[in-house]
Amino acid sequence: MDLFFISLGIILAGGFFPLFLKRQFLWMKAVSVFGIATGCLLGLIDAGRHLAISGNLYASFDYLSAFSLFFTIDSLAAFFLVAIFFVSFLAVIYGFHYMDKPEKAARTAVNFFFFSLLIISMALVVCAGNMITFMLAWEIMSLSSFFLVIYDHQKPENRMAGYLYFVFSHVGAMFIFSAFGLMYGFSGSFGFEGAAALPEPVKLIVFVLAFIGFGSKAGVFPFHVWLPHAHPAAPSHISAVMSGVMIKTGIYGIMRMYSVLGSHTMIFGEIVLVAGMVSGILGVVYALGQHDLKRLLAYHSVENIGIILIGLGLGMIGVAAGQPVMAVLGFAGGLLHVLNHSIFKSLLFMGAGMVIRKTGTSAIDALGGLIKNMKITGITFLIGSLAISGLPPFNGFVSEFFIYMGGFRGVALDRTAFAFSLLGIISLAVIGGLALACFSKVVGVVFQGEPRSVAAENVDEKGPAMLFPMLVLAGACILIGVYPKIFILMAVKGVASLELGYGRIPLDHFIELTGNITRAASIFFGVFLLVLALRTLLYRGKTITRSGTWGCGFTQPTVKMQYTGSSYAASILEFFKPVAPLNEDHPAIQGRFPAKTHYHSHVHDIAERYMGSIIVRPVQWVFDQLRWIQHGDIHLYIGYILLAIVVLLFFV
Amino acid sequence: MIHPVDILLVLVLLSVLFAFASSRLPVLIRILAFQGVVVSIVPFFLEHDMTTGSVVFTMATLTIRGIVIPWSIYSMIQKMGIKREMETVVGYNVSVFFSLLLIVAAPMLSHKFNLPSFSGGTLITSTAITLVVAGMFLLMARRNAIAMVLGYIMMENGIYLVGTSFSARAQHIVEFGILLDVLAGVMIMAIMLQSIKQKYDNLDTALLRELKE
Repeated sequence: MDLFFISLGIILAGGFFPLFLKRQFLWMKAVSVFGIATGCLLGLIDAGRHLAISGNLYASFDYLSAFSLFFTIDSLAAFFLVAIFFVSFLAVIYGFHYMDKPEKAARTAVNFFFFSLLIISMALVVCAGNMITFMLAWEIMSLSSFFLVIYDHQKPENRMAGYLYFVFSHVGAMFIFSAFGLMYGFSGSFGFEGAAALPEPVKLIVFVLAFIGFGSKAGVFPFHVWLPHAHPAAPSHISAVMSGVMIKTGIYGIMRMYSVLGSHTMIFGEIVLVAGMVSGILGVVYALGQHDLKRLLAYHSVENIGIILIGLGLGMIGVAAGQPVMAVLGFAGGLLHVLNHSIFKSLLFMGAGMVIRKTGTSAIDALGGLIKNMKITGITFLIGSLAISGLPPFNGFVSEFFIYMGGFRGVALDRTAFAFSLLGIISLAVIGGLALACFSKVVGVVFQGEPRSVAAENVDEKGPAMLFPMLVLAGACILIGVYPKIFILMAVKGVASLELGYGRIPLDHFIELTGNITRAASIFFGVFLLVLALRTLLYRGKTITRSGTWGCGFTQPTVKMQYTGSSYAASILEFFKPVAPLNEDHPAIQGRFPAKTHYHSHVHDIAERYMGSIIVRPVQWVFDQLRWIQHGDIHLYIGYILLAIVVLLFFV
Repeated sequence: MIHPVDILLVLVLLSVLFAFASSRLPVLIRILAFQGVVVSIVPFFLEHDMTTGSVVFTMATLTIRGIVIPWSIYSMIQKMGIKREMETVVGYNVSVFFSLLLIVAAPMLSHKFNLPSFSGGTLITSTAITLVVAGMFLLMARRNAIAMVLGYIMMENGIYLVGTSFSARAQHIVEFGILLDVLAGVMIMAIMLQSIKQKYDNLDTALLRELKE
């Protein structure tokens, strides 16, 4: 028995036993967290070992005579396993203090159970060695995460979010099924190996179908509609895992399909790159317009998936153009961004969870000044924000820099590759800038300034089990940012199992370059910290007066005079109006003694809007027309059966 | 020369016609009892080697199919004071016409099924098909829940006939599987009938339409 399956077994046990322990709330949580965390840690060690030594694990189970379950861990799978087990390990620890409602003991137990199932199924998805195994794990993953989303099922909007997620994940699965079906139809086997022999046009169809299917899980525009609904509905550590790693299984699927199809034409890269650019830019634009903290973070997942896809797209273009260095840079950058995003996104979701738990609200414009009472949360959230904006010396920078360098390699190519690489670079730059704007909005409005509502006053940040994972994740952000070499090598090793056949690519130059920039940035940070230390040292013993933020000498400041999130983002959103229609409800101020007014804005997601009118409504109309079939008369139902039998007997 | 099995099967086909034409429940029950008996004794006339075991099996089938089930249904309608006339969805004349069509069409179909047939006993498959489809038709065409149970039993008779054409050993497995099925089915239906009766004070299944959302 391999360590991998042992760790999965421990995780399952950790999820299963608490179902019988709901009387002892604390014990239940302790057993569950201990079991799942131990399993994840073992799995992490095992995945690291697989990544370090290139030996592949094969395991095959023939319990079902017709379909054998087959698992294999190559370096690509091991890379994803590292992200899955690392984030899940921290998320479950976070859950110990986050799930603190003894009156909901039964539901908490069920939540831990499905959480363990989710971790196991994610691990099995990336290890699946044939179609049957893959779809089995994929479905378990979709279903268990569905149950996690509807944890708070009393609220109708959460049920609605769960339903939306259910529909999207199953329509996506349908697309994957059709892609696999097409592959099976041509190759005649459930293994992935036969796919390379498919005719070229069929490969393209298979890839597009699979891309839609996996894209709907990953949250690629326009299939991301479920994401901003489901992430706020789920408990925060679940959102961290779903947004941090679960949606990455979609990325894994895309990479795996590219690898098994083995078709290295330009069109694949172009599709992926364009999808990446669109989801990256629109994701961050919609994020800017959000007023709900978790919804905003959910849109940032769409954005980061876009960045990852830009990396992969540049890699595929590099492969098609015969540019090994560009290919490896793009793929490694995208893959490293998978790991990085899983780290800082789960950090941000955990920070948001802490804020929501302590203040009871997730409305950005109702918060403010939290950093005064929530030091650790505030600083780790700031680190996460800097990392997600792609600033050195944090981890987001490293992966984005790799993608940039891949893009600059592509600029040297001929026309189409040139155009696409240039577009990729430009959109990366736009995304980076907008992400920075968005997170300066979040950090500025939520953590700085003065509290905008009673809820944001007098908060604390108790709960060591919630603080510990955040500290670890923030530490990981800095570690990868300052010492990127080993992590880049991990990603390059992951790329190796795409079997591009390049052998050893000299990347030391690029790694050194990245290292230099991050080191320069860390020197900058060092100077900053030094100044801070000097300031405290030199000002010791002197009187320092504190006044309200944004006071500016005004004698009667109120909290209403602060910037709000909406006003901060308004000028940027104005520019993007064609793709992000903004609904404003704001009665104009008139006269010398104006009446009380209000401001309400809502950014419409064009995918959500047009998916409703173009796809959902026609489908609904068709089925409304067929409603007479369900009349409730038992005799006519039997008549249907009779008719079916007669038709089958006579004509088949 | 006409094979004795075929004579029995012709009787079965005639009973289908009678069943479709009869408007009263007790008559229908008696027809079904007759049909059950005839269908059950078919194995005696097939050229299987009858062992003691298979004789016992066949007799048990005959008892349950021809006596126990019809009698229990009959006593049930007596006890529950059920109306003896049946309302229809499809009228009697149309039903008879349909069954005639079916009897004509079934032999054309029977060759599609590669069932082991016996020298002479060529009607088995076509009769089986007729019974299955006719039972289904009865389920659909009669509103009364008891008549629907009887339609179900007719279907089961058809499946039993298919079973008889298998080899001797497999035959009993199939038969007993079916018998258990029928018994369980009839019992469940009896319970359901009780509740329908309690709820609506009638056995007209069209009333179940009210349960629709």
